[in-house]
Amino acid sequence: VKRLAQPCSVLVVDDEPALRKTILASLAATGFTVEEAGTGSEAISAVRRRPFDLVLMDVNMPGMTGVEACRQIRAFAPRTGIIMVTVRDAEDDKVQALEAGADDYVTKPFRLRELVARLGAVFRRTHADIAAARGILQAGDLKMDLDRGLIWKAGEQIHLSPKEFDLLSFFMRNQGVPLTHVKLLRGTWGPEYGDELEYLRTYVRMLRKKIETDPARPQYIQTEPWVGYRFRNPSEPDQPVSLAEDE
Amino acid sequence: MHRLNTHELWRTLKWCAFGALGVVLLTFLAYRLHLSFATASFCSLLLLVLQSLSGDFASSVVVSVLAVGCLDYFFVEPLFSLEINSRLDILGLASFLITGLVITKLVIKLRDQTALSRLHHQMMQRLYALAQQLLALDPDPKGGTQFLEPFCGTLGIRAVCLFDAAGAEVHLAGAATDGLEKRTGEAFIHGKDREDQESGFSTRCIRIAGRTIGAIGFVGLEDPGLTAGPLAALAAAHLERTRSFVHASRAAAAAQTESYRSAILDALAHEFKTPLSTILTAAGALGEASCLGPQQRELAETVESEAARLGRLTSRLIRTARLEREEVRPWIELIDVSSVLADTVDQYTRNSAKQSISIVKDCASSEVLGDPELVRLAVSQLLDNACKYSMPGSPVTLRISRENDQIAIRVLSRGNPIPPSEKSKIFDRFYRGMDGLRVGPGSGLGLFVARKIALALGGGLELDGELGGSDETIFRLVLPVPESEPEA
Repeated sequence: VKRLAQPCSVLVVDDEPALRKTILASLAATGFTVEEAGTGSEAISAVRRRPFDLVLMDVNMPGMTGVEACRQIRAFAPRTGIIMVTVRDAEDDKVQALEAGADDYVTKPFRLRELVARLGAVFRRTHADIAAARGILQAGDLKMDLDRGLIWKAGEQIHLSPKEFDLLSFFMRNQGVPLTHVKLLRGTWGPEYGDELEYLRTYVRMLRKKIETDPARPQYIQTEPWVGYRFRNPSEPDQPVSLAEDE
Repeated sequence: MHRLNTHELWRTLKWCAFGALGVVLLTFLAYRLHLSFATASFCSLLLLVLQSLSGDFASSVVVSVLAVGCLDYFFVEPLFSLEINSRLDILGLASFLITGLVITKLVIKLRDQTALSRLHHQMMQRLYALAQQLLALDPDPKGGTQFLEPFCGTLGIRAVCLFDAAGAEVHLAGAATDGLEKRTGEAFIHGKDREDQESGFSTRCIRIAGRTIGAIGFVGLEDPGLTAGPLAALAAAHLERTRSFVHASRAAAAAQTESYRSAILDALAHEFKTPLSTILTAAGALGEASCLGPQQRELAETVESEAARLGRLTSRLIRTARLEREEVRPWIELIDVSSVLADTVDQYTRNSAKQSISIVKDCASSEVLGDPELVRLAVSQLLDNACKYSMPGSPVTLRISRENDQIAIRVLSRGNPIPPSEKSKIFDRFYRGMDGLRVGPGSGLGLFVARKIALALGGGLELDGELGGSDETIFRLVLPVPESEPEA
């Protein structure tokens, strides 16, 4: 498990004491500063008391749900990274959590190294603030000049249509985090869009053909089934490939 | 029959006597008052009409003839003799006789019809009361005889027997009667309604929508020709109502089971995964601890990897069970089947000690339109079966080839072939083959879900009979290849 270079404080919110204690002990051993909360409302008061870098919170809790707590925390703590814990086959939970302002999610059952990787990726992103950067974006062997509207793959220029360019730049500004279909459509096409899934699929397919070495095994644009897509930077090893759970 | 005739004869004789007395008295009075032939005839006619209001036709005939005789003897020339000289008188007497008989006949007919319609009205009322009683009864799912009780006593029924063909059951109610059960059964077998006036038995077939569903027999039913049919219809309606009730109860029970099942599944999904996450996290942290020796570290890694495997198995079971009852919602994208399946085959190779599993690709491109997770799940079901049912040590092969506009994925294994009688059933929900007893636990859902997935992805899954040898079993899963890319 890779340790973080900077100190990072995490609030672990889960109603299951055994899992909460285990995560606390494991994250503490990995170098995080940790605190715990057993319910959504406890979590909200904890974040009001002192700022945390990250909040790791179960979606499924008695009383206030994780999604509602996430929405409330996001309202007053815009710079806190929020990672939700969900179960598989609950795609609606994931989309709801992302729409409520969560940065990412992990799926139960997860391994410690997967958890640490997700926490680390969100921590780096919220601190580096890639979204604010203008000028040159880079990921793996892709290089994008936002001002001049140019893109190179391994030093060779590739030609994209204006929409393809907009979509790819949106992806590259939000590296490593899951992006819902709605967010991608609104971010690229405009606020009146949201249901035009076919547009998105077609453009992602065309983008993959142009930027991926093997479009059937994409390195950059990964599918998050039922949620959307996640742009992965291959040169950052702790951004996990979509973790296949099935045998 | 004989006693009945004697009784009627007595009644006729009685009315004859009354009528004769009336005629004699009338004749005496008319003679003493010196009435004319015409007046006397009218008075006699009046007497005949009065007599026919209560007497029967035979007595009316006798009285009419007597009246004609009296009129002839006392009022027609020559008097005090039955001789008639004038043709006019013959005509008068004949007219009297015919008019008398016709009026009598009509009055009696009218009287009979009135009586019959009163009887019908009474029967209708009793049938209506019976129908109300039957409707008030709660349908008995066990098909008891409770509903036959109201029949007894209605319309003079002494005993009633119902033969229900659905369960070949016989139900009896009322006084014990020999032969009723047998006759009712026979009525159903021959499909004929019967009447036996001597013994008082009547039987009717019970029909619904032209289909005979049983028979009903009565003893002592009044006017069976009229009432047996409606009674059988009432019994049919009640039987049908009971059946609908049973059917609805079963459907409700099934729906409840289904909702329990889904509640249990959802609970499992959450309840299993939380402790598994705890174990995985703890094992991961333990593996990171600096104080462990290499052996302990390996043990911690084993705990972690096995817990992860348990997690994957749980996910798969829950997912399979969900797909069984829910509609498959595929997330279609362009995937390379061989790379999607490479991991799956790897995992099976690692976990299966008995079989060697290999993947063979016969085509350059194996790109299809599909949902990678669902394709993995479907192929896992096929590999599971191949490993379970094949001979230990025999190879299991996954062969990918192109067939026109489809990619075919074949899973080949050697072992006991699937018996021809089972071939049509193996894709049925919850079906487990005879060999299933030997290989141990299973849900009977694997192939059902795999086929459901294949169909949802626009492909198919079948047992490939053409290529297989005698001991080779081949499943062929096909998935659609994308149409050639339109230029953007």
